[in-house]
Amino acid sequence: MKIAVDAMGGDYAPEEVVKGVVIAAKEYDVGIILVGPQARVAEELAKYDCSGVAIEIVDTDEYLVEGEHPAYALRQKRKASILVATKLVKEGKADAVVGAGPTGGVVGSALQVLGTVEGISRPVVGGAFLGFAPKTVMMDLGGNVDCRPDQLLDFAIVGTVYAQKMLNIQNPTVALLSVGAEEGKGNEIVKASYSLLQKSGLNFIGNVEGYDIPTGRANVVICDGFVGNILVKFCESLGETICRWFEDKVKEKLPESDVKEIVDGLLLATNLVSASGGGPLWAVDGVACVAHGRSRFNEIAGVIGQAKLAVKLDLVGSLKAELVAARSKLNMPLSES
Amino acid sequence: MSAEMSIEEKVKSIVLKIVRKPDIDFAATTTFKDLNADSLDIVQMLVALEDAYDIEIDDQELQEVTNMGGFIDYIKRKVAEKG
Repeated sequence: MKIAVDAMGGDYAPEEVVKGVVIAAKEYDVGIILVGPQARVAEELAKYDCSGVAIEIVDTDEYLVEGEHPAYALRQKRKASILVATKLVKEGKADAVVGAGPTGGVVGSALQVLGTVEGISRPVVGGAFLGFAPKTVMMDLGGNVDCRPDQLLDFAIVGTVYAQKMLNIQNPTVALLSVGAEEGKGNEIVKASYSLLQKSGLNFIGNVEGYDIPTGRANVVICDGFVGNILVKFCESLGETICRWFEDKVKEKLPESDVKEIVDGLLLATNLVSASGGGPLWAVDGVACVAHGRSRFNEIAGVIGQAKLAVKLDLVGSLKAELVAARSKLNMPLSES
Repeated sequence: MSAEMSIEEKVKSIVLKIVRKPDIDFAATTTFKDLNADSLDIVQMLVALEDAYDIEIDDQELQEVTNMGGFIDYIKRKVAEKG
């Protein structure tokens, strides 16, 4: 199995990406194609013992940087590293692609090159992000900042499939994230989505509010990527801030090992995404995984491991089958979507 | 159906599929904004049309396009230039 990795993706590229790749190649026994400027990537690779691992470099000088508009940057930079890496999957030269950002660039490349599975218009970033509520999946966490009601319905179907396949929940409850539990609360998109979800045949339980997320009130919580991304980053920062505050308060009152255990537990409970490093872009017609932009080498390696798992479990094939089944139950054939 | 009509219909079909409104029609004065097309939608349209006609769309030239009528004319011109 070969995984194409954007060597220039993320805040710490290419250093942390290359280091993560070397670890992943050994730990997960996968071949890696690193895509980026040949000399720069080779210089990083030379720092590590790469004997016994299959890592090759595909050269390109162009790559996306934070601050660019990802969709338009991909039009201007036709040889951007994430675009080239994604094309390797399309051409059958790699089984999966991994990129650490900008997230919009990974999403845009996946959309342009691989497309989405039939019936879903946009890739979705999502999953369980709070350790306090491991059976609650949030969709979308940043792939789509402006969404139409029909896209939120797509997220609900994908989230339902995710909860069924990955969390083994037979009939997951689905809720819309809003500013009030009652129907009619929320912005225009949320209100329009509410009636769509009501008719969808999914196990829709109405709106939930922010404070319902940590309690796991719904298995699938739907929001646009703008809200989802703010929420996940807020929770990460809140967890880290509370840990720093806690360490300061108890550092001379509790043994260091006890403090570390509590802090590690709290970080995991508030930041599952960082623990996993990222995950698959759901609804893409191929395996494309996005790693957190702040990913260090261990998170990059973790996401490469997830990419391998996604290929091995044929998650894309499973999702396609489940979507057909779900749409059929909802009397919404894919051809009408 | 003339070749020009064929391009017009194809552009409409691609655009409407991407904005997920396959059952509507649009006028020459309709804008991308009217269709609720965001940047990713527009990029998808451009890539699909480049693939369909084997043309290269210049994003700078597109800045002058203000509505769907202009967009269809632009695609027709690029296809004609290609010969």
